[in-house]
Amino acid sequence: MKLRDFVLRRIILAIPVIFGVLTITWFLSYVVGDPLAMYVTERTPDAAIPGIIRARGLDAPLVVQYFLYLTALFQGDWGVSTTTGADQPVLTVLARLFPATIELSIVAMSIAIVLGIPLGIISATRKDKAADHVTRVFALIGVSMPIFWFGLMLKYVLFYQLSVWDLPHLPGGDRYNFRAFGSWQPTTGFLLIDSLLFEHNPALFLDAVVHLIMPAFCLGYITLAIITRMMRSSMLEVIKEDYITLAKSKGLSERVVIYKHALRNALIPTVTVIGLAFGGLITGAVLTETIFNWPGLGRWATNSILNSDIAAINGFTLLVAFIFVIANFIVDMIYGVLDPRIRFG
Amino acid sequence: MSDELVLHVKDLYVNFYTYEGIVKALDGVEMFLRRGDTMGVVGETGCGKSVTAKSILRLIEAPGRLDDGQILFFDQDFETKETIELDLAKLELEEMLEIRGNRISIVFQDPATYPNPVFRIGDQIAEVIELHQNLAMDVLYMKIAKLELTLSEATSDENRAEIEGKISYYRQQLDDPPEPDKKSMREAAKLKAIEMLRLVRMPAPEQVVNQYPHELSGGMRQRALIAMSLACNPSILICDEATTALDVTVQAQVLLLLNQLKAEIGTSIIVITHDMGVVAETCNWVNVMYAGTTVESCATEEIFAKPLHPYTAGLLIAVPKLHEVKDRLPQIRGTVPNLITPPTGCRFHPRCDYATSVCKEKKPLLEELEPGHWVACHHPLRS
Repeated sequence: MKLRDFVLRRIILAIPVIFGVLTITWFLSYVVGDPLAMYVTERTPDAAIPGIIRARGLDAPLVVQYFLYLTALFQGDWGVSTTTGADQPVLTVLARLFPATIELSIVAMSIAIVLGIPLGIISATRKDKAADHVTRVFALIGVSMPIFWFGLMLKYVLFYQLSVWDLPHLPGGDRYNFRAFGSWQPTTGFLLIDSLLFEHNPALFLDAVVHLIMPAFCLGYITLAIITRMMRSSMLEVIKEDYITLAKSKGLSERVVIYKHALRNALIPTVTVIGLAFGGLITGAVLTETIFNWPGLGRWATNSILNSDIAAINGFTLLVAFIFVIANFIVDMIYGVLDPRIRFG
Repeated sequence: MSDELVLHVKDLYVNFYTYEGIVKALDGVEMFLRRGDTMGVVGETGCGKSVTAKSILRLIEAPGRLDDGQILFFDQDFETKETIELDLAKLELEEMLEIRGNRISIVFQDPATYPNPVFRIGDQIAEVIELHQNLAMDVLYMKIAKLELTLSEATSDENRAEIEGKISYYRQQLDDPPEPDKKSMREAAKLKAIEMLRLVRMPAPEQVVNQYPHELSGGMRQRALIAMSLACNPSILICDEATTALDVTVQAQVLLLLNQLKAEIGTSIIVITHDMGVVAETCNWVNVMYAGTTVESCATEEIFAKPLHPYTAGLLIAVPKLHEVKDRLPQIRGTVPNLITPPTGCRFHPRCDYATSVCKEKKPLLEELEPGHWVACHHPLRS
C-alpha cells in the first residue's frame, strides 16, 4: 500500500518536529522566567522556599529536570497550572477550554473557506470589472485591519448601537445566554454538537449559533481575505495555462472550464495557505476571545504567560504544535487528492 | 480529392489591443481548404499562423479581437449529406461550442503543457466524447456485450435464461435507444476513449486511460492529444506545430500517423509549421504567410518547383540542402516587421529585392496567377 507508507512517513516526520518544539519551549521558558515564581506568593515565608524547591525538583540539574519533564509528559502528566486559581492539571484545563477555541476556529475557518474561494474565483473571472474591484477592496480591508479594532467595531455597531436603537442585535459576547439556559453538561465540549445530540435543545443550538456569528467572522476575516487573494491570483495564473486553452478547444462551456479544469489546479496553492492559516487561527483566537468574552484557550494562555505559569505555557505550545502538524498533514493529503503528481510522492 | 471546399477564410483581420499599441496580427488573411486535403501553413514565428488557427476556433482571447472577415465552414450533415454553410466569425458562443472539439478540433504544440495535469488521460478523452456524441447506442451495445460475457460464464440454465431475456430486451431497444444514465454514459465514453487510443497506435491503451499525463512520454502524450481531437470525427483537424516539440523520430511517427488517419477517417487537415520538411512530407497544398498576410497558396510540388512570391523563394533558398557544402546559409535580409507599425502597402517590401514604389503604396491582393497558384505580389517571379 503506497498510501499507508505515505501516512506512516508523515507521522514519523512529525515526531522530530513535535520533539523540537517541546524542547525549545521548555528551555526558553526557563530563560525568560523564574520557575519558582508560580509556586510562591508574597505571603510565602522565606523559610518555606527551600522546601518548595526540593519538592518541585527545581534543585536538580537542568538536564535532569528536562528528562523528568519528558518522562512525566509521556505518562500523561503535563504539569500543574495555577493560572485558573486553584492548582489544576494542565491536561484537564486544556480538555475543558480547548473545545470552545476549536469550535470558534472551525466555524471561522468554514466562513473563510466558503466565502473566500468563490469570491476569489469571481474576482479572477471578472478581472478589472466592478465585482473584482469590490472583492479586492473587501480583501484588502481584511488583511489590513487589526483584529482587536475590527472586533470592537463589530461589537459597537452590531451589538451596542443596534441595542441602543432597540433593533434586533447580535449578542456582545459569551458562548450562549447563560441566564436563559443555565449551565450545560459538556459531552464533546462542542456546544453546537452537544446542544443537538445530547441536550436535545434546538433553542440552545440556535442561541450558540447566534453567539458564534460575530466572533467567528471577526476571527475569520483575515483568513477569508488571505484565501480570497490567494485564490484570485492562482486562478488568474491557471487560466493562462495551456490546458485551459485545450479545455476550451474541446467545446466545454466557460463554467466547466473554470470550475472543473481551472479550479482544481488553482486550489493547490490555496490549500497550502488554508493549512497554515488554521494553526494561526488557534493562536489568533487570543484577541477575539478576549473581546467577545469567549471561554477558550486564548485568554487562559495569555494569563499563563503573564503569570509565567511554565507548565501551562508548555502545554499550550505543545497543543498548538500538534494542531499545526495535523493541519499540515491534512493539507498534504488534500494535495495528493488534488494533484496526482504529488500523490504519495 | 474533390474541389469541394470545407473551409474558406476570407479577408480576416485580427488585432490585439495592447498598451503599446494595436498589433495588427492578421491583415486580410485568405485561406481555403478542400475536403480531404492536407494543407500546410508556413511562415516565420509571429506571422500569424497560430492566430489564424485560433481564430478559426474563435479562441482569440482579450486583448485580441476578430475585427473583420469571414470564416466560412462547409459542414456536411451526417445523415442527409447536405452541406451546411456557417460563418464561424459571426457565430454565437453557444453555437461555437458545438463546433469546437466536435466538427473542428486542434492539436497544440507542446504535449508537456497542454494536457490537464490533474485528470486521467482517459477522462480527458471521454470528456469530449460525452460532450458531443449521443452515446445511447454505445451504452446499449456495451450492456449487451457485458451480458454476453456473463452468459458465456454462466453455469445454471436458470441463470442463462434470465441473462438471455435481458439481452433480447436491450436488443429491442436498439431501434429507439432510451436516454442512458450518466454513469453508463461515462463508462461507454471511456470504452470509446480506449478505442481512440488504439486508433492512434497507443501501446497498452487499457492502462493508459487510467494514467495521468505526467506518467507518459512526450510522444505518447501527443498521441493522446491527437486521440482527444479525433474523438468526434471532426471535419477539420488543425495541427498547430503539433510535432515541433517532439524529437525527430517521434515527429516522423506522428506525421506518418496523421497521414494514415486522414485516410481512415476522412478528415481534412491543416498543418501549421515552420518546417519545410514537414510540409513536403505531409501536405498536398501549401499556404505561405508573412506578417499577417497570405502571400502564396498552391500545391506542394508547385511551391518547391517554382515559387512565385519573392518571400517564398527566399524561404526555400534558406533551407539547407544535403548535397551542398556552404559556410553560411543564405537568409532573407532584414527582420520581421513590428506589427504595431507594419510597413505600408506590401508588408514584405522593406525586405524584398524586387520592391518598387508601387509596393510601398498598394497592398497586393491574392490572385490566381497561374491555374491553381495564388500569389499576392506586384512583381511575381517568372511571370
